[in-house]
Amino acid sequence: MTAVFVDAQTEAHTHLIKVRTGDFNLQKVDEINSVSRAFVGGEIDFDQLQQRIEAIDRKVIDFTWPQKIFGAGLVSVAPMLLFKATWADLAWAFFVGIAGYLASQWVGRQTTTPYITSAVGGFTIALLAAALVQWGWATSSDNIIISALMPLVPGVALTNSLRELIGKHTISGMVRAVDAVLVAGAIGGGVVLGAVLVRILAGV
Amino acid sequence: MDIIVILTEIVFGFLSSVGFGVITNVPRRTLMASGITGGLAWGVYVIVDQVSGNLILPNLLAAVTIGVLANIAAIAVRAPVNVMYVPCLVSLVPGAIIYMSMKDFTLGHDATAQQGLIKTLTVAFALAIGFVLAEALMNQLRPWIKRLMRRA
Repeated sequence: MTAVFVDAQTEAHTHLIKVRTGDFNLQKVDEINSVSRAFVGGEIDFDQLQQRIEAIDRKVIDFTWPQKIFGAGLVSVAPMLLFKATWADLAWAFFVGIAGYLASQWVGRQTTTPYITSAVGGFTIALLAAALVQWGWATSSDNIIISALMPLVPGVALTNSLRELIGKHTISGMVRAVDAVLVAGAIGGGVVLGAVLVRILAGV
Repeated sequence: MDIIVILTEIVFGFLSSVGFGVITNVPRRTLMASGITGGLAWGVYVIVDQVSGNLILPNLLAAVTIGVLANIAAIAVRAPVNVMYVPCLVSLVPGAIIYMSMKDFTLGHDATAQQGLIKTLTVAFALAIGFVLAEALMNQLRPWIKRLMRRA
């Protein structure tokens, strides 16, 4: 889907590297950035640069799982819905969001099929939210779903793609915008499936 | 508007940004800065939304806030500014609207779905243009801020 073009000013060859798009890891971006700054500034030579980059590639830079789970929970309480949804619903959204995030991460590890991760995340969230309302523990499944979807939804990707379009990086901007729409479609489909499933089960 | 309400909104905006920063693995030294930027930008959004009530202006001004504060923070903690932007954006971004519009397409409510899609594009463009404005502003201010920080 995405690729990096490496070009030398003195040669006609262009090297094209395909990028396996998966998770964000901004920490690696930051480390590569500081290493290349050191290289351009003449603080390290080319061999050191190569070593450092290989080290960054191999190193697992990550927050721990408990931290990530807590983070997903925090994102799931959307500020957009404060004073619009009830506080109990927002508290439920915290846990439902964690479940959806974990489900999509787990599926992402099992399969390489694109977009299925978002669909499963949406499905899990809708299933739990509808079930909570069905049992009478929560008031509005819509509010819980919208809030809990925040970690999965491609809003940041869409905004960044428009920033790329405005910056005249037309191709990568278009690619990301289409990707964002497809991700949102997958989530929407998953949510509808989950909600329908609960309705069928409750109807029986 | 109640001051307590605004403070609560800012706190939740802060928490949201920090949480998204953890999910997307931002470097630890930028986590606090982007959390504060995200919270303040959300505060700007809420206040402008109350005062003006239209769709574009709150998003635009919030994006300008993020652009300016994130650039200053990026100079202070020495990190790429794009790494700062991503977590700050999470509460402003039209993720919920694009999801609802896609859900409407799935359910066959075509008219509301198209409305939602246009709303999504409006919000996203407002944010993107806000960033362009902030970048233009910061290009003028950056040398001045750097000088100021070196003295401090």
